[in-house]
Amino acid sequence: MIQLEAVTKLYAGVPAVEEVSFEVRPGEVVGFLGPNGAGKSTILKILSTWIRPTSGRARVAGFDVSADPLAVREVLGYLPEHNPLYEGMRVDELLVFAARAHGLAAGRTRERLDWAVSSLSLQDVVKKRVSQCSKGYRQRIGLAAALIHDPKVILLDEPTHGLDPLQVVAFRQFVHGLAPGRAILFSSHVLAEVAAICERLLLLHHGRLIAAARTAELAAEAAGQGSDLERVVLSLVEARGGRELALRGGSREARR
Amino acid sequence: MSQRPAWMSGALTVARRELLAAFDSSVAYVYTLAFAWLSSSIFMNEFFLAGHAELTAYFERLPLLFCVFLPAITMRSWAEEKKTRTNEWLLTFPLRASAVVFGKFLGSFGLFGLFLLAGLPLVVMVYSLGEPDGGRLLTGFLGSALAGALLLSLGLFCSAQSADQIVAFVLTAVAGFFLVLTGDDRVVAVLDGLSPRLGLGSLLRDHLALTPRFDPFVAGRIELGALLYFVLGSAGLLALNARQVEADRD
Repeated sequence: MIQLEAVTKLYAGVPAVEEVSFEVRPGEVVGFLGPNGAGKSTILKILSTWIRPTSGRARVAGFDVSADPLAVREVLGYLPEHNPLYEGMRVDELLVFAARAHGLAAGRTRERLDWAVSSLSLQDVVKKRVSQCSKGYRQRIGLAAALIHDPKVILLDEPTHGLDPLQVVAFRQFVHGLAPGRAILFSSHVLAEVAAICERLLLLHHGRLIAAARTAELAAEAAGQGSDLERVVLSLVEARGGRELALRGGSREARR
Repeated sequence: MSQRPAWMSGALTVARRELLAAFDSSVAYVYTLAFAWLSSSIFMNEFFLAGHAELTAYFERLPLLFCVFLPAITMRSWAEEKKTRTNEWLLTFPLRASAVVFGKFLGSFGLFGLFLLAGLPLVVMVYSLGEPDGGRLLTGFLGSALAGALLLSLGLFCSAQSADQIVAFVLTAVAGFFLVLTGDDRVVAVLDGLSPRLGLGSLLRDHLALTPRFDPFVAGRIELGALLYFVLGSAGLLALNARQVEADRD
């Protein structure tokens, strides 16, 4: 459903993402993990067609993001970093706008609006302006707008940022409910959050994919070592990062 | 699953949102009332002095007023989207950049339409006081609509150059005044005097200025060259705007 092949993005000659390759299959929830500036958002922006890769190929549902961006956007639900929303619009107006911009007919728009409002518990704010909503509601509104057209591929950039613990738990359950038949890629810099939601982790560091691992395998490794998941992931990052530094000069081995 | 909206349907969706944003805030009401008051009051003095049942003086003043009021409509179009990062959301919908740009143009033209409607009470007034030339009134409004379209297209393009609304306003106003004033005989004479060999003033008036193309409409004539100037100028600026939106993805 999502395929990246040696994708590189340069900003003024400086790499933000370097030769990243991975795949996400239908039904998978995959988490991007890495510190700020690791390149998580850049990859999501490339997949959303917001920016174009400098080199490499990125495909969503079989469509190339550079060659056929409109086809990609049809199947994609995207919640950008910082969740930008039109502050002056009422919540229902904003969701109807998102539905129409995705080409939904009037009847289907009403149907999906009802689904979004009830699934994300937006009843109390649906007639309010976005600017009057709390941070938690705003995240849910952004998510509702990303899902209004029932997308097959979902990209969520730091979706739990600013949510309280109860809201985070509700968000996890909601994402799990969405997973069947869809490919979901979501970024965070909080390991516990990614581990709780995702079956697979992709670890990014300085724009490079340094490791990919199944959450269950990492958890088993942690249990075997009498350690915790955080330590196992940290040691993995350090080991791969160190090896990468030692091999600087272009060897791809460092990233395998 | 969604289905990609048709080009015009996508443009209308964006236009509707733009209009909604303008009317949800006080922007639309304030701009329209201010424009109606200023344009009418400037005209009324001349109207009573001249004593003719016509709106020539009204139309002649409009391009200069447009240079102040239309940048205020378009300044937020892209600059605000960039500042709040909503452009990342808007431009990841399955809409072509050209449809989004045209939608923004239609939205701002809808608001500008209210400016033109503000002239209708004057039409009623001249008809109640005399027998004005109806054709000339129509061409006057047509020319005003075309001049407005060109300045709105210019404003949208300028708005895409910055994330700051004030910068967008100033850029559009300066470019608009340049187009209008380079058609003024006094400015042409000064520029020609400064560059007698090149004849810069005449060059700009003959090839670029708005006023010489607007004046025939006010005089009751629809000239093909003038029509093409406004239509192609507006279309060209909108196309440049769409091209820039796409180029910003690199």
